[in-house]
Amino acid sequence: MTKPTPKEIKAIADVAGVPVDAEVATRVANSIGPAFEGFAAIAGTLPFDLEPASFVVVQTTKVSK
Amino acid sequence: MSAEPALLSLTEVAQAIAQKRFSSREVTKSCLDRIEQWQPRLNAFMAVEPDEALAAADAADAALAKGNARGALHGVPLAHKDMYYDAGKIVTCGSKIRRDFVATSTSTALQRLKDAGTIRLGSLQMVEFAYGPTGHNTHYGAVHNPWGLDHITGGSSSGSGSAVAARLTFAALGSDTGGSIRMPAHFCGVTGLKTTYGRISRAGAMPLSQSLDTVGPLARTALDCALLLGLMAGADPHDPTAAAEPVPDYVAATRESIKGLTIGVPSAFYVDDLDPEVERILDETISVLKREGANIVQVELPDQRQLTAAAQLVVAVEAAAFHKRWLIERPQDYGPQVLMRLQNGLAIPGVSYLEAMRWRGPALAAYLAAVAGTDAVIVPGAPVPAPTLAESDVGNGPGAEAVIQRLTRFTRPVNYLGLPSLAIPSGFTKTGLPVGMQVIGRSFDEAMLLRIGAAFQRATDFHERVPEPA
Repeated sequence: MTKPTPKEIKAIADVAGVPVDAEVATRVANSIGPAFEGFAAIAGTLPFDLEPASFVVVQTTKVSK
Repeated sequence: MSAEPALLSLTEVAQAIAQKRFSSREVTKSCLDRIEQWQPRLNAFMAVEPDEALAAADAADAALAKGNARGALHGVPLAHKDMYYDAGKIVTCGSKIRRDFVATSTSTALQRLKDAGTIRLGSLQMVEFAYGPTGHNTHYGAVHNPWGLDHITGGSSSGSGSAVAARLTFAALGSDTGGSIRMPAHFCGVTGLKTTYGRISRAGAMPLSQSLDTVGPLARTALDCALLLGLMAGADPHDPTAAAEPVPDYVAATRESIKGLTIGVPSAFYVDDLDPEVERILDETISVLKREGANIVQVELPDQRQLTAAAQLVVAVEAAAFHKRWLIERPQDYGPQVLMRLQNGLAIPGVSYLEAMRWRGPALAAYLAAVAGTDAVIVPGAPVPAPTLAESDVGNGPGAEAVIQRLTRFTRPVNYLGLPSLAIPSGFTKTGLPVGMQVIGRSFDEAMLLRIGAAFQRATDFHERVPEPA
């Protein structure tokens, strides 16, 4: 997963219905970039059957020391 | 017992009122006197309601005289973060947009405290829409740290941390989506409990990120947090994400020794790049826990930076979705930093957000496997003591995200995993600023954290120290 460029952010924000100008798009790119980089090793590697609800299953499974 | 009722702990004052050693009016007047003294320096309160508070106190005293105590906190005055809906009251959420918003219902957490007999002192300041870790607020001004007025309180529960530290309220509700209870606890020297995701109902609490938001208390002691948690925890028909897990006797847990418990200390990440004073206090905290009989072991955790990144993706998208209407209609009414962070969420594709949500289960399983031999893990609340207001006032400038990430570095992974974490005052720097440690546990095992926190507080006095007015 690569971090979006300011140009891409401008296009995504337009599609989302909240247009931003070039200056804001650049600021957003700098701000959110590290999150994309930090998650890059996970993105695109998750197994097919994994659903978000698996979190609740793990959370409520009794675990002891 | 202190002659000044406001200096008692929540548990002590509740007992004092029940046993008629102090009236609710005397206690409420004591808090109001301290608020009058401190508020001009701290800006901790959003609203103070002295007349209503004293009238409620008189009603509580009259009920008690007739033998009609409402509950465990009968007549105890409290104030909470201004994001808990209280029917008929203005709830600003720290924002200009909701400056005149009057709640039409009362949040479940607040109602449960009212049912236990608490009365309202007013409402507490917070970061705009709970979206920021410093305590700065463009619309209502920064909240000041009572241990050093030029320093931040941490956020977003800035007023809660400041007011509890200065003994203006016995306890306060905060909320924690990325560290918003634990950072003010760390920076202000109070005890703060970030609960397991789902432990306390979020109904009627302003949302920021529905997958990460948690409700919890800031108070003076672990025992006080245990009392409050027991009153608020449990299922709620108004919040389907509130868990139906059993609610144990948290107060009883605080009486147990920690002898023989195993507490993990991470070998990396949480011990890297620490301020020397935080490093010293971590070592001293570990020494105290050892003296109290705990076994300390090193634990190798999975990569915590990935958890932080995933948490950022989740909160950014969910916050932007909640705020989308106002982002379109009223962008000029947000402070610059909050607007920038909300706009961040617009840039994240849906697939990326859902990947971050899908990974939560395996990430939690990996963490639990890594800490399998321990009862809890101890880490600092933040890598640094409270920065100054000036150096952290970064707005939406180019360095803003770096400042935010540094402050929230040790708190965000816990939110992503949905785990409980108790922040406890653990020491002071040479310049007199508090430093706190987090004790992180397993899902729904707040009792273990409160047990460890209470044992630490029986062996130390950091939680009993009171800041003096400058």
